[in-house]
Amino acid sequence: YLYAHLRLSIFPLDTGCFHCSERIVQLPSWNGFVFVEAVVFIFLYGFQLVSSLFVSFQACHSEKHVGQFYTVPPAHVRIVFPYGLPRRYIEQVKTFNEACLMVRQPALEVISYLKKTDFSKPALRYVFYGVRGSGKSLSLCHTVHFCYTQGWLVLHIPDALRWVKDCTELLPSSYNTSRFDQPLQAVEWLRNFRTTNEQFLSKIKIKQRYVWTKREFTEEGSLLGELVDQGISRVKSSSDVVGALMKELRLQSGQPESNFRLAVAVNSVNALWGKSNIMKEDRSAVDPEELTLIHNLRKLMNNDWTGGAIITTVSQTGSVLIPKSAYLPQELLGKKGFDTMDPFVPVSVPNYSEKEFESCYLYYMDRHWLQHPQSLTEDGKKELIFLSNRNPTMLERICSSL
Amino acid sequence: MAASLTGLLKPWTPRVFLVRWSRYNPYYLEPEFRKEVYSKSEAELTAEEKEQRELKVIRPIKAATHGVNSSVFYDPVVSKFTNMMMKHGEKTLARQIMTQTLETLKRKQVEKYHKASEEQKEEIECNPYAIFHQALDNCKPVVGLANIQKGGKNYQVPVPLTDSRRRFLAMKWMITECRENKHRRTHMYEKLSQELMAAYMKEGNVIKKKFELHKMAEANRAYAHYRWW
Repeated sequence: YLYAHLRLSIFPLDTGCFHCSERIVQLPSWNGFVFVEAVVFIFLYGFQLVSSLFVSFQACHSEKHVGQFYTVPPAHVRIVFPYGLPRRYIEQVKTFNEACLMVRQPALEVISYLKKTDFSKPALRYVFYGVRGSGKSLSLCHTVHFCYTQGWLVLHIPDALRWVKDCTELLPSSYNTSRFDQPLQAVEWLRNFRTTNEQFLSKIKIKQRYVWTKREFTEEGSLLGELVDQGISRVKSSSDVVGALMKELRLQSGQPESNFRLAVAVNSVNALWGKSNIMKEDRSAVDPEELTLIHNLRKLMNNDWTGGAIITTVSQTGSVLIPKSAYLPQELLGKKGFDTMDPFVPVSVPNYSEKEFESCYLYYMDRHWLQHPQSLTEDGKKELIFLSNRNPTMLERICSSL
Repeated sequence: MAASLTGLLKPWTPRVFLVRWSRYNPYYLEPEFRKEVYSKSEAELTAEEKEQRELKVIRPIKAATHGVNSSVFYDPVVSKFTNMMMKHGEKTLARQIMTQTLETLKRKQVEKYHKASEEQKEEIECNPYAIFHQALDNCKPVVGLANIQKGGKNYQVPVPLTDSRRRFLAMKWMITECRENKHRRTHMYEKLSQELMAAYMKEGNVIKKKFELHKMAEANRAYAHYRWW
């Protein structure tokens, strides 16, 4: 059989609308026949959101495209994911000179729910869970990219564990003396937030007056951009700025006069209710509740605000003092976390199915990543299936040295 | 030795004897670990292979070494290199370094490939195993020097090398070069991938060392007749 794979590529037309096309060369016989037609989907969306008008859209991914790869445009990669993608994936993007994500069932499910959300009801919480390396972070990134293309305001915390582990600088908080600030992490996150949501910074106005020090304050009615710049330039108060930002967005998102949808995407949300690595000066452990960033993020996780959605993952990788075999949401979130997150929509992210494995294998072949002559044979493929157990991460690691 | 000790250690004899590193009786045959040999049917076997099979029924067979396997991706040269890199018996670390080296080589080449124009694409070699083998071949010396004492003086005499000795020297030089002459703070896999790439392009310190050895051998050509084997 002539094996080829299916590619979706999104590229802009000159009128400012995007369309994606499928280039199908020839399929192996999963479906029992070979199809050579090209199907073109056209959908419109504008990058400039007019003040009270939402452009209607249909995203081009559906059940038919499970197992296929779609290319994220390079401009989007720089803006939407300044620090959002897993480390090995970033290296892969650099090597292949393109960012291709596989369309998989869990992400499609959450995207279909997001399309049908009723924005007048409280925000729904979605939790991706699965064994180690099954593709939860990348499913989250796929969903985040979808939200970005639909013009939502994306609050993406790429790794909540970074706020809870290995913190070198810990300042006592100026706002509340029992809590601790993490200036470096807060500044980094604010910078990334600014890159992703440039267009909203000059449109949203804050509704409350914030006083940072004796001489610095942000007036009511000033733009969100000024708040973010205040946090980035004044490193000491950056954690409080993050808290203020989250509060403003939470309060404003359901209101009728606001013209944005808020998508809160948190990777490894079990870090908020787990244990932390950080120690105080007297060598006692810091509870995550005592960190300002975590405290404010927990408020966002409650479903008492409307006009958006909360998409999260739970992962054991990198989490502090949790056994390796735990992968279910209840084990990872713990009692407190589960009580806060309950009710949520759990979405299981399994290992690759046979079709998805084929697709991944063909993608690596197309990108000249499988170089060992034996890996292109049937026996080699069987051995890859056996060694990786169709786990996406394991397959990637094995193929990288072949 | 076992015979003399048995008298002393009568009530206890060890259940497990170290067999591989003591010398096997030459009566023992080498093990055959490749899968394709066993999948051949009766008709495809030549006369010699049929004899071999008869022998294997009768004679005992040595135990296979540890790193050897019947995977389709097994490469004896890569396995030997990994073993030479290993320190204090940490095979997992040596193997990890080896896979990372191959991955780095492949990544650099594939990145170059995807950014190159159509004509340049055919010249770029992306297969890390091909680069590895070619680099080691480029490092192998043709003649070596042996220390021969004649008339009270020691002479460096040019001497032909066996294939296994050449392979050993190439690998040894590669590993020592990467361990000693590179910057302290770089990882071993980075150092190795840089040196292998340079050896593939016939540049670098290991190639220089091979050429110096050849020059010494050429300079001492006059003493070649001191060799008696």
